[in-house]
Amino acid sequence: MAILECKNLFKKYGAVEALSDVTLSIDSGRIIGLLGPNGSGKTTLIKLANGLLMPSSGEILIDGKAPGRESHAIVSYLPERTAIPIWMNAKQLMDYYEDFYADFNRSAAEEMLEHLGIRPNQKIRQMSKGTREKVQLIMVMSRQAKLYFLDEPIGGVDPATRDYILSTIISNYNPEASVIISTHLISDVEKVLDDVLFINNGRLMLQTSVDQIREEKGMSVDELFREVFKC
Amino acid sequence: MLKKLLKHEFRATARTMLPMYLILLVASLGANLTTRGLLETEYPILDTIGVILVMLFVMAIIAVCVMTLVTMIERFCKNLLGDEGYLSMTLPVSVHQQVWTKLIVSVVWFAATAAAVVIAFCIMAFDLGVVKQALDVLVGLLRELWQNMSAYYALNGTAIVLELVVLVVVGLAANCLRFYAAMALGYSFANYKLPLAVVFFFVIGGVEKFLLSLAMNLLHIVNVADLFDQILIQHPMTMTHTVFVGCIVSQLILSGIFYFLTTYCLKNRLNLE
Amino acid sequence: MHWQFSNDMPIYTQLIEQIKVAIVSGVFLPGERLPSVRDLAVDAGVNPNTMQRAMAELERDKLVFSQRTSGRYVTEDHMVIHALKADLARIHVARCVEALERLGYTREDILDVLTNSLKGE
Repeated sequence: MAILECKNLFKKYGAVEALSDVTLSIDSGRIIGLLGPNGSGKTTLIKLANGLLMPSSGEILIDGKAPGRESHAIVSYLPERTAIPIWMNAKQLMDYYEDFYADFNRSAAEEMLEHLGIRPNQKIRQMSKGTREKVQLIMVMSRQAKLYFLDEPIGGVDPATRDYILSTIISNYNPEASVIISTHLISDVEKVLDDVLFINNGRLMLQTSVDQIREEKGMSVDELFREVFKC
Repeated sequence: MLKKLLKHEFRATARTMLPMYLILLVASLGANLTTRGLLETEYPILDTIGVILVMLFVMAIIAVCVMTLVTMIERFCKNLLGDEGYLSMTLPVSVHQQVWTKLIVSVVWFAATAAAVVIAFCIMAFDLGVVKQALDVLVGLLRELWQNMSAYYALNGTAIVLELVVLVVVGLAANCLRFYAAMALGYSFANYKLPLAVVFFFVIGGVEKFLLSLAMNLLHIVNVADLFDQILIQHPMTMTHTVFVGCIVSQLILSGIFYFLTTYCLKNRLNLE
Repeated sequence: MHWQFSNDMPIYTQLIEQIKVAIVSGVFLPGERLPSVRDLAVDAGVNPNTMQRAMAELERDKLVFSQRTSGRYVTEDHMVIHALKADLARIHVARCVEALERLGYTREDILDVLTNSLKGE
């Protein structure tokens, strides 16, 4: 069964259509790029999947159920913003994740934090913006979830951090899970993806595999993207 | 999960409230020096210190009360509707559990603050003579209470105390929920979230006043005042209970409406930035 | 190991090619145990599923074999490696010839160019 399914999904903000008639289905065991220009509806789709927005019409299902407390238990979500409470220290943050998520692998998180040189009693408030983002990613990837949503994980970070983030995603990837990565920086994530979803103006333009694009068109996803979204 | 939410909510709020209580304790100890005769010496400097200590004590009391209110508002606003909402609202818990957690913890802190202020006054006034007097009064009260309990009015007396406690708790809850509903409504819009929340708070208050005056007028029209007077004279206890229970029920109804508004907005109109 | 990817071919075919070169050139020795798919994927910065697919292909070509419990190994059959080496050489020569022909060299000229170039070194 599909881990994520959208059926004629619409989301309107007043008169503006943020998502328009999106129908798609995503199976387990894939790493999927949700690709589109800024403001194309990527974040709206991810928020809908996490129950942070309600659809205007249509349906979105996680493992066959509407987003809610059951889906939250199997979905690990990296929002675009830093959402971890900054007054906590690293240890308190792990306590928090461990208490609420049965699938949280504490030793994995501890190892990754130690690798970054973060002490358990270090307050998140005292960390740089980049470090906070890394800590948040570590928390998200330390869960053994069935579905991961990573909203712009590499937006606005330096190349070294980008490599760190991508290798953290790869090394924690569990082949039974699916990972959805939204980004507009395609060339950076291309090697990591199985499939791509092209989205523009709230509409799904293309759902295909990276190999297929390269085999059939003889070009990279990045090149195809530039062609499709040429201004 | 409610237990875990409560645990983490207390953890998050205690880091502001406990230091506040500590400040209050220190301030009341300072004020205690004043009551021990700092103002009655012939040294003007000690006079000044005494006045400052009393002022600090008053300020500490105000600060504790204000911080309790601010913490209640801030926890809801920041933790559920701000950036932290991306984490809080995607925990495997229900919206109801979230709202109940905030509500229970806030009511507990309000009660704790009330207790802390009472204790602070006791500390300020702590003096052997005063304590002896206070103990005498307390013993007297207890004796009286015991007599009353064992007397004819026993049941009524206990019931009224219980009703009062329930009314205070329900009233506190209704007040918290009024803030929650206003914030949940205001933050469901894309822009001007905080100003709208303030507007909604006053709109809700206005609607309440309007409905209350409407009810009063209706009562006036059917001329219940005379009826009430008669009951009050003939069955004073019945009347007291009726008023208490009436207040409790009205606060419960208000709470219910605010609770519904809050959870409806959090579920269906959540709109995180 | 250094990995490099071009845009015009599927990632998994490029992975296969580069692992083959690594086997022939002795980066991975015959009979040597290969790192896990996950570690290789992290090292190359690619999707573990893609690395898995490349490994499956290499296994089909008998260049690597897996032992159920202990992991995946490079083949010990020197004949297979030798044949692979010859294969890769043919591919590189063909590419070289193609490039020179595009520059206008005839087959005879190409031989001269190559001989001179090798002597010069």
